[in-house]
Amino acid sequence: MQRPCIHLRAKRVISLNGLESGSRGALWLRNMDSETTALSSIGVLIEAVGRGSQVALKRLYELESRRLYGIALRIVQRPEVAADVMQEAFVQVWQNAAAFSADRGAGAAWLTGIVRFRAIDAVRKAGREILTDDPALGDAALEPDVIEKIDALAEAAAMKRCLKLLDDEQRRSIVLAFVDGLSHSEIAERLKAPLGSVKSWIRRGLLALRRCLQS
Amino acid sequence: MIPQNPDDLHVLAGEFVLGVLDEPDAREVAEALATNIELHRAVTFWEEHLHPLSVLVSPALPPAGTWEAIEARIAKPAPPPVAPRFWENVVPWRWSTAGFAVAAAGLALWILLMPAPEPSLVAVLHPPQQDQPSWIATAGRSGVVVRAVTAATPPNDRAFELWAIAPGATRPRSLGVIPASGELRLGTVPPDLRDGATLAISIEPPGGSPTQQPTGPVVFVGSVKPV
Repeated sequence: MQRPCIHLRAKRVISLNGLESGSRGALWLRNMDSETTALSSIGVLIEAVGRGSQVALKRLYELESRRLYGIALRIVQRPEVAADVMQEAFVQVWQNAAAFSADRGAGAAWLTGIVRFRAIDAVRKAGREILTDDPALGDAALEPDVIEKIDALAEAAAMKRCLKLLDDEQRRSIVLAFVDGLSHSEIAERLKAPLGSVKSWIRRGLLALRRCLQS
Repeated sequence: MIPQNPDDLHVLAGEFVLGVLDEPDAREVAEALATNIELHRAVTFWEEHLHPLSVLVSPALPPAGTWEAIEARIAKPAPPPVAPRFWENVVPWRWSTAGFAVAAAGLALWILLMPAPEPSLVAVLHPPQQDQPSWIATAGRSGVVVRAVTAATPPNDRAFELWAIAPGATRPRSLGVIPASGELRLGTVPPDLRDGATLAISIEPPGGSPTQQPTGPVVFVGSVKPV
């Protein structure tokens, strides 16, 4: 009877009415270690969505849409495209939530992944010329603000500590790729560096980050 | 080629999560995720560790009407017929490609050409977090047929096992190990396999899970719907 206990405890945290209906089959997708996995309310909501609850999806939208839309807008730069990305992403959440399991990672990270992939897909299909050719967008100004904000990261002590160990180019390349959704060649263009150097910065940066994060 | 070397594998996974890979490489990683456990772990590692960087981006209010548009698209009433719905919903996950479209077209054709009697239930299984159709299951009076859409092989010394979770059930029930041919047939439809059930495929020891419950990771999942 361990599983229902986890579920009840988690439900109490978010005290949502009307979520409980239908199959609870998705619960077994978690492995036995899930007892020790901290359940966030986001993860619980995604599991409720996986059982077919539209109420849970709406709540998820209310809680997460500003954060996720910010991510999408940063990558695609155009509000109408970012709104489409949000639609595609939430429809995908609706369809795939049954496969979400807490042991695969935090709910918020799962949502971020879906939105980023959708946004990068949209921007690569549409081309990015409109964005990089527009001096009003201030390519140079976009980037330092994010790099500087790393210091203010409260949520990610380990990541912050490890990012500091990287060379400046490695750090900038990785952050630009993640935050702005830039490809290798777009980063090369942005940093005015050879493509081969950018690939190598990212490779060495990822290896150094991994060593640091695992230590 | 997905590298075996742990460093190369981790770099590839990190590049995949960052989104810097070009389309063919990204597609190769996405396809390998379902069967390559090490790659799967590495991608999860990067998803979780890079996620905190997303707080560097300022939140913004989505345009009015965004939720309503989502709500309209997931509305339950009047489910469209299976074939159009397939086209409509299975927007290939990240790097939508002609390859997926061809697979889907073949699938639709295959459904149409199914021998009589017509199947009454269908499930399209895809890797968790992806829309790429990987297996199709049909059930009807002639029994159950589960077939791989794209060639999928379990890791060495492992087998794919199919599970059904009935609506409202808390435990999955095994429908059997999928033969190496990539096709599983059952003469009768198990009671758990009905409208609203979930089908899943996990990676298990060669003869199937020794515990009557899944022991390995779930690599494909899909909902059972009426045709």
